[in-house]
Amino acid sequence: MENRLLINLIPGDTFLHRLTGKTKVRTFIILLVYIIMSFDIRLIMPLFILSIIGLVSLRPNWKKVKYFIIVITVVNLLNIVLFWLADPDIGSYWCGGGNTVLVSLTERLFLSAETLWYLSVRFIKMITSFMVSLVFILSITPSEMAAGLYSIKVPYKICTIFSIAFRYIPDIARDYNNIKVSLQTRGVELDPKKASLKSRLKQNALILVPLIITSFERVGNISNAMDLRGYGRGKTRTYYSEHEELKADKVFKAIYIILLLFCAYWIITQNIMPQDFRMWYPFV
Amino acid sequence: MSTPIVEFRNFSFRYKTQTSPTLHDINLTIRKGEKVLVLGPSGSGKSTLANCINGLNPFSYDGEITGSCKVAGMETKNASIFALSKVVGTVLQDSDAQFVGLSVGEDIAFALENQGIPRKEMLPMVDQAARIVGMEDFLLHVPYDLSGGQKQKVALAGVMHGDVELLIFDEPLASLDPRMGMTAVELIDRIHREQNKTILIIEHRLEDVLHRHVDRIVLMNEGRIVYDGEPDRLLASDLLTRHGIREPLYIMAMKYAGCELEPGQKLSDIHELDLSPFEEKLKKQHLAKVDKYVPKIGEEILKVENVTFAYGKDPVLKDVSFTIKRGEKVAFVGKNGAGKSTMAKLICGIERPREGRIMLNGADYTSLSIKEIAEKVGYVMQNPNQMLVKDMIKDEVELAMLLRGRSRKEIDEAVKKALKMCGLWPMRNWPVSAVSYGQKKRVTIASILVLQPDIIILDEPTAGQDFRHYTEIMEFLDELNREYGITIVFITHDMHLAIQYTDRAVVFAEGEVVADDSVYKVLSDDQVINRANLKQTSLYTLAMRLGIEPEAYIEHFINYERMVRDHGKPAAD
Repeated sequence: MENRLLINLIPGDTFLHRLTGKTKVRTFIILLVYIIMSFDIRLIMPLFILSIIGLVSLRPNWKKVKYFIIVITVVNLLNIVLFWLADPDIGSYWCGGGNTVLVSLTERLFLSAETLWYLSVRFIKMITSFMVSLVFILSITPSEMAAGLYSIKVPYKICTIFSIAFRYIPDIARDYNNIKVSLQTRGVELDPKKASLKSRLKQNALILVPLIITSFERVGNISNAMDLRGYGRGKTRTYYSEHEELKADKVFKAIYIILLLFCAYWIITQNIMPQDFRMWYPFV
Repeated sequence: MSTPIVEFRNFSFRYKTQTSPTLHDINLTIRKGEKVLVLGPSGSGKSTLANCINGLNPFSYDGEITGSCKVAGMETKNASIFALSKVVGTVLQDSDAQFVGLSVGEDIAFALENQGIPRKEMLPMVDQAARIVGMEDFLLHVPYDLSGGQKQKVALAGVMHGDVELLIFDEPLASLDPRMGMTAVELIDRIHREQNKTILIIEHRLEDVLHRHVDRIVLMNEGRIVYDGEPDRLLASDLLTRHGIREPLYIMAMKYAGCELEPGQKLSDIHELDLSPFEEKLKKQHLAKVDKYVPKIGEEILKVENVTFAYGKDPVLKDVSFTIKRGEKVAFVGKNGAGKSTMAKLICGIERPREGRIMLNGADYTSLSIKEIAEKVGYVMQNPNQMLVKDMIKDEVELAMLLRGRSRKEIDEAVKKALKMCGLWPMRNWPVSAVSYGQKKRVTIASILVLQPDIIILDEPTAGQDFRHYTEIMEFLDELNREYGITIVFITHDMHLAIQYTDRAVVFAEGEVVADDSVYKVLSDDQVINRANLKQTSLYTLAMRLGIEPEAYIEHFINYERMVRDHGKPAAD
């Protein structure tokens, strides 16, 4: 079965790929906090540039990645356009009350410099969070993910769900296809040109019965296989996929700890000492 | 005498969900270093016995134990599945489901991870285990790239760590092609000799296991041990046929010839067996008159012409041509991935050829929809649970007609006919879940026959079935062919099936048809056997040792066997 998902099952060999799952998971979580905490372009822009470098360094399969990047960009563009339509004056609230109109279409629909700034920052912030997630997903394998989550004290039975799910999704997809084909030969019409949406939904429900039954059979076998190899015996476990920390991991560790402290500082100061404007705006 | 590793004393086991015990009064000792085959038909309790040793019973499947079972000195009911897993390694039948890692290395390491062994110590252990089974170059491979045989090797490597002394193989041959099955038996034998492990094989395919020596056979039936001793004595007796186990073909041939089999004759090894006392009788038997079997074959019904097909870039089928005639029984054989299932999908219209054409009754039908093709060619999947969607047998069978919007009267007539053909008419109002595996198979066949197709294609119709169910399913299909003239295509790994129940084999290897001939001719051709991962039958070896032309010998055997099956054994003269 071909792997059609974006996810790698076998670790790649670029710099980011070679980090441990622990480093990847921790860095990712702290970067997410870092992105969410502010609307400050001075903080977001460097990360945006780094994430592009990171993505390129992973040498991804651009064909697969391109599709995701286009969809996310379009959705986010749509999102900020809707934001603008809903309240063209939104920028003045965020950027300290100014209202420098650049273009005015009607009385209600105008574009101010503040709104343009706010929406651009918002857009870059969204794209950055997507890029960071993409780099994370492309650089990690499900097993490293499990190991990484385990390193931040998530119980290993929950971590296992990640790796096991990715292991069996292709198998279940194959079962689904087999069942679909066998029902198609018996006359279930799934061609959108020949059957209405309602009847297709109804007929898809038919596929579920055997799919659930065969999946339950499989789950029984999997859990037996795991029991027989001592899964769940101890409170702790180790991970084959989690190699020893290399120099790069130690460097990353220093970076994410500093970043964590910075985030803590930022969140505390921003919340304790409210500013008169909500975001950094250079043209005020 | 070495120390016992497994000791059953007056042991019985009853599953909590059942009213009567599955195992009765078991007394069995397995000693360190032994290699034991547990033989028995489905439902004989052989898998239950294995699960009582590895701890799945009663820790995963709740049940009640009476008597005692000691494994490496531990009383199992007081131990735990984890404590037992340190001594007992189990390779399950489903090589796909038991592959829990995302790569070969991870899967082999799984047990070590659970023991919390640091990665540094784990790596050499994984390496060593992989080397023992010959998978050391595959550590970074994902399960989707592996064959069934390779997955099984990984499973074996994954349970062999540390102090494991006893290895249990639960139906190791069930999903392997003949050559892979042979390799698996050889691998188990090598592990037994080189690693000094005790081996317990659970199987019903006796002949394939006997490819390598076993010390002892335990025959089970209905939850009891009916034989426990050396293989030769069992082969000389009539216990096998009495308890629904298929005898090795060469033993059958010798019994047909009226040879007096004695326990002291190395019967379990066709190569070592001293044939001199039997030679005369076997040769005489070969000259015995048999009715030459002539299948009732009509005009050409299906014609595959220069078909080429690919999923991506690499062609799965290359310039394939063959024909099938009305009323024929044809086997598609070859190793996994050789293209036989893809060919079936093309015939059913599930996939369409890139080049070439497929014609039914002289007309190219590749432009029809799957649904329309299904009225001419029916496809029965391997696992009936993947086909059954309704609660009631009758509803299941009428589904295809209902979805085609036929009139009630037409539906009832067709359903009645299909149910009667399959012997399910009295059970038409039964829930599908209440019937046996073999009957479910019939329900799926009936639900295909209801459309009155010209051809039906069956994917591994007997996979995982014991001899009794196998015979039941195959006799039923034979009857469909005989009585109703239905053309049947079998996709199969089972050479016994191909020999006994088909007229012709189309052999696939690397996307090409490498042979298209009667089964006995195919199975006497070394080159074809090698290219298609098939295996010579023991009849071939027997014929060679007797100095008879193997092709003629196998043909004679098949005809004789068919005669016995249809009319009973002719009186000895």
